[in-house]
Amino acid sequence: MSTVASTEHFNTPAVLPVLRAQNITKKFGGVTALNGVSFDLRPGEIHALCGENGAGKSTLIKLLSGIHPHGSYEGELFVNEKTIALRGVADAEKSGIAVIYQELALVPEMSVAENIFLGAEPTRFGFIDWDEVYSQTQVCLERFNLKVKPTVKISHLGIGQRQLLEIIKALRKNSKILILDEPTAALTETEVAVLLETLRDLRGHGVSCIYISHKLDEVFGIADRVTVLRDGQSIITARASEITKQAVIRHMVGREIQDLFPRKAPIRGKPLMRVVGLTVADEQTGDVILKNISFEVHAGEVLGLGGLMGAGRTELLMHLFGAWGKRLKGEVEINGQLIKSEDPRAMIKRGLVLVSEDRRRYGLFFEKTVGFNLSLSTISRFRRHLFVDASYELDVNQKLFASLRVKATGLESPVAGLSGGNQQKGVLGKALMTEPAIILLDEPTRGIDVGAKQEVYEIMNQLTHAGKAVVLASSELPELIGMSERILMMRDGAITKEFYRVQASPESLMAAALGHTNEAAV
Amino acid sequence: MKNQRSLRDFSIGIALLAICGFFAIASPQFLSPRNITMLMIELSITATLALGMFLIILPGHIDLSVGSGVGLIGGIASVLVFHHHWPAPAAMAFGLVLGVLVWFLMGRLVIKQKMPAFIITLGGLLIFKGLFWLVIQSTTVPIVEGGKSNLYSLLTTYYLPRSLGYLLAFLGVLALVLVKLRARWRQKKYGFSGESGEMLFLKLFIAAQLIFLFVLVMSQFRGIPLVVVILAAATLAVTALTEHTPFGRYLYAIGGNEEAAVISGIPVQKTVITTFAIMGAVVAVTGFMQTAYSGASTTTVGDLMELDAIAACVIGGTSLKGGRGSAMGVLFGALIMATLLNGMTLLAVSPEFKYIIRGVVLALAVWMDVRLAR
Repeated sequence: MSTVASTEHFNTPAVLPVLRAQNITKKFGGVTALNGVSFDLRPGEIHALCGENGAGKSTLIKLLSGIHPHGSYEGELFVNEKTIALRGVADAEKSGIAVIYQELALVPEMSVAENIFLGAEPTRFGFIDWDEVYSQTQVCLERFNLKVKPTVKISHLGIGQRQLLEIIKALRKNSKILILDEPTAALTETEVAVLLETLRDLRGHGVSCIYISHKLDEVFGIADRVTVLRDGQSIITARASEITKQAVIRHMVGREIQDLFPRKAPIRGKPLMRVVGLTVADEQTGDVILKNISFEVHAGEVLGLGGLMGAGRTELLMHLFGAWGKRLKGEVEINGQLIKSEDPRAMIKRGLVLVSEDRRRYGLFFEKTVGFNLSLSTISRFRRHLFVDASYELDVNQKLFASLRVKATGLESPVAGLSGGNQQKGVLGKALMTEPAIILLDEPTRGIDVGAKQEVYEIMNQLTHAGKAVVLASSELPELIGMSERILMMRDGAITKEFYRVQASPESLMAAALGHTNEAAV
Repeated sequence: MKNQRSLRDFSIGIALLAICGFFAIASPQFLSPRNITMLMIELSITATLALGMFLIILPGHIDLSVGSGVGLIGGIASVLVFHHHWPAPAAMAFGLVLGVLVWFLMGRLVIKQKMPAFIITLGGLLIFKGLFWLVIQSTTVPIVEGGKSNLYSLLTTYYLPRSLGYLLAFLGVLALVLVKLRARWRQKKYGFSGESGEMLFLKLFIAAQLIFLFVLVMSQFRGIPLVVVILAAATLAVTALTEHTPFGRYLYAIGGNEEAAVISGIPVQKTVITTFAIMGAVVAVTGFMQTAYSGASTTTVGDLMELDAIAACVIGGTSLKGGRGSAMGVLFGALIMATLLNGMTLLAVSPEFKYIIRGVVLALAVWMDVRLAR
C-alpha cells in the first residue's frame, strides 16, 4: 500500500517540533499495529489525529505516553529534537507529556483539590499543607472558569467537569504537550464549547495538543493540522485549512463504504423477543436509568441500538441478560413466554446471550487459554458421567477455533497475548457455543481492525440467516446504518426514535441521539 | 516464556530436594523409615487441610476459621465419645455433618450477604475457639476410654498390613495406567496425537517406581499409616474435582474474573457455597486426625493450622487472588512446610527459631514465585 508522503512537514523550518515520532513500527504478536508512522507536533499547535477504530491511534498515544515502553517498538521519539527513551508513564510526564484518557483517571471518592495534587501534595514539616492545596486549587479553577468547590468529591461532578479537571491536573505538572483521546465523546454541547475554548486559550500560552476525535466538525473547528491514520499507516498530514472534511473521510476509510458493511438481510421471521414498558433502576443508587422502553426483535433481524455514551444502551442489554438493575415496571417476553428478571445463567438457558462491550471486565479470562475461554459457558455439555471429556471438548473447541479464524498459535495460547480482534472472536465464540436464539452484541467491533470487523459482520449475517436475532448496540453510526434493518436511538435511558435502514442517515441518527426534534438542527 | 514457566513449576521440587538434602546431611535419622513415617503422618494432617483451603482460595476467597474449627470439631467428637459414651463412628459422623452444616452457613453468609470471607471467617476463628474451650471445659478430653482403642484413636495409630500396602500400590499403578490409556484411546478417536507412547510409558514407569519405593520405605517401619491413605484419597479427589469437572472449571473462572464468570452463565454463588461446605467436611476430617495425633482434645489443638494451610497453598503456587494453582502444587507446598518442621525438630531447633525460619521460607517462596512469573 502506498503511503502519501507528508510533504507538508517543515515548510516552515524555523519552528522545531516539540514532539516528533520517526518511522515507528509496533507489533503485537503477529499483528502490525503501526507500520512506519512518522508524526510531529509543533509548539503551540493543535494537531488532530483521525482514523477509524483500530487504525493505530491509541497505539501511537500509548507509545508517546510511555505505556508501550522504549524497546517494545522500532523507530525513535524526540522531544525538542532530543531522542528520548520512555520507560514508563512517569518518564513521559517528566518530558512534559500528559495524556487525558476517555476513561478518566480521577479518584471518585477524593475531593477536587486532593485529586489535582495527588502524588504531589505540598507539605509543611512532613504534613500536607491543606491551606496551600485549597488556595492553589482555587486559583486553577478560577483560571479555567470552572465553578466547583475544591472540597467537593469527584463523584459529584459531571463528566465534562472531570475532563477539565484532568487537564488542570496535567497542566499543574507543567505539561507542555497534552494528548486528548476522544475528550468530547460524553460531553454536552456547552461542555464541548468550554473545553475547546480552554484548548484555544492554552494554545496561546504555548501548550501543544494532540487531539483525537471522531467528530470532524470539532476537528475542523479547532485543529491547525490533521493527520490521518489508516491500518497502522500515516496516510496524510495537512493543514486543516487546506483539506476538506470529505477528503479526510476518504483517507480514513480508504475504500467505498458499501464494502465495509456486507449486510445480507434474510426475510424477517416471527418475533423472538418483545419488551414492553421496561423501566429499570440502578440497584445501588436507586436512580431510574431505563425509562419505559418497548421494542420487538424478530428472527433473522439485526436490530441496531444507538445513542451517546451514557444513553443507556449497555444498561439495557445488561438488564435483558439479567446482569444489571432492578426492574420497576415492564415485561419481557422471549418466544412468547413471559420472563421474570433472572440471572445470566438462566437467560443463557432461555437462548439469550450477551457479548459485553468490556472484554477485559466481563468477557474473558485473560490468564487462561483460548480453549478454556471458548468452552467455559458450556462446559457441562462435555461431561461424561462426572468428568469432563477433554478429548471431546478439544474436538469441539478446535472446530470453533478454525471456523472463527482466530489468529493464535493454538487453543493453548493464553488469551492475554492475542490482539483485540482475536480476543473479540474468542468472546463471540464463547457466546455462540451456548447456541443462542437471540444474541445481544454490545460494541462488538470496538477497537478491532478492519479485517476482524468484516469477520464479525459475516458472523452476524450467518446468525440471522440461521433464523437467530441480533441486537447490535454501537456508537459508530455507519456501522448501525450498514448492519441493521431497524435502528432504535436512545437518549437518557429512553428510546427517542425508531428508524428503518432506508430512512437513516448519520445526521438524523445523531439528531435523535442528541434529542433534537428538528433533524436539521445538527 | 515457556522455559520460565517450566522453571517455575520445577522450582518447588528443587527447593524440596535442597531442604531434604540439607536435613539428610545434618541429621542421620532424617532418612530413617521411622522418621519418614512420622513425617508422612504430620504431612497428611496439614496437607489434607491445605487441599480444602486450596478449594476456597481458588475462587478468590479465604478461610481463617479452619484452625479453630479443627479444634472444635475434634473436641466435640472427643466429648461425645469420652463423656457421653457415644460409639466413635457415630461421634465422628456427627462431627462431619456439623462441619458441613456450619461451613455451608458461613459460605451462605459470605455470598448472600456479600461480606468478605476474611471477616466472616475471622469471626469464625474467634467464635469457634471460644466454643471449643466451652465444649471441652478448657480441660483435656481423651478420645477413647481408658487404654482401649476405637476408630477415632486408630486414625493415626493404624498402619495397613504390609501385604495390603503392596496390593494398594499395585492397584493404584494399575488404575493410573488404565486411566492414561483410556484418555489416549479417546484422543485417537478424535484424531489428536497426544504425547508419544515412549513419553507416556516413561512417565508411568517413573510414577510406578516412586509409588513402590514409597511403600517399600514405609514397610521398613510399620507399613502405610491410615492417614496417608486419607491424604492420597483427598489429593485424588481434589485433583479430579479441579481438573476434570465443570465444577473445577468454575472455580478457576470465578477466581480469574468473577464478573466475567457471572456473564458466562456460571453458577457463581452455588459454586462458592459448595466449596465452603466441602471445606466443612475437610475441617472435620482434619479435626479428627489432628486430635487423634495429639492423643486427646486440648485447648491448643488446631492452633495456627489455618496459617499453615494457607502457607502450603501459597508456596505451592496458588494465587491468593484466585484463579491459579494446582492440587499437586499444594501437596508439595505442604511437604516443604512439614519437612522443615520435622527436620528442625530432629536438629532440636528451639521453638522460637522454628517460627522465624518457617516465616522466612514462606516469604522467600512467594518472592521466588513472583520473580519467576515475570
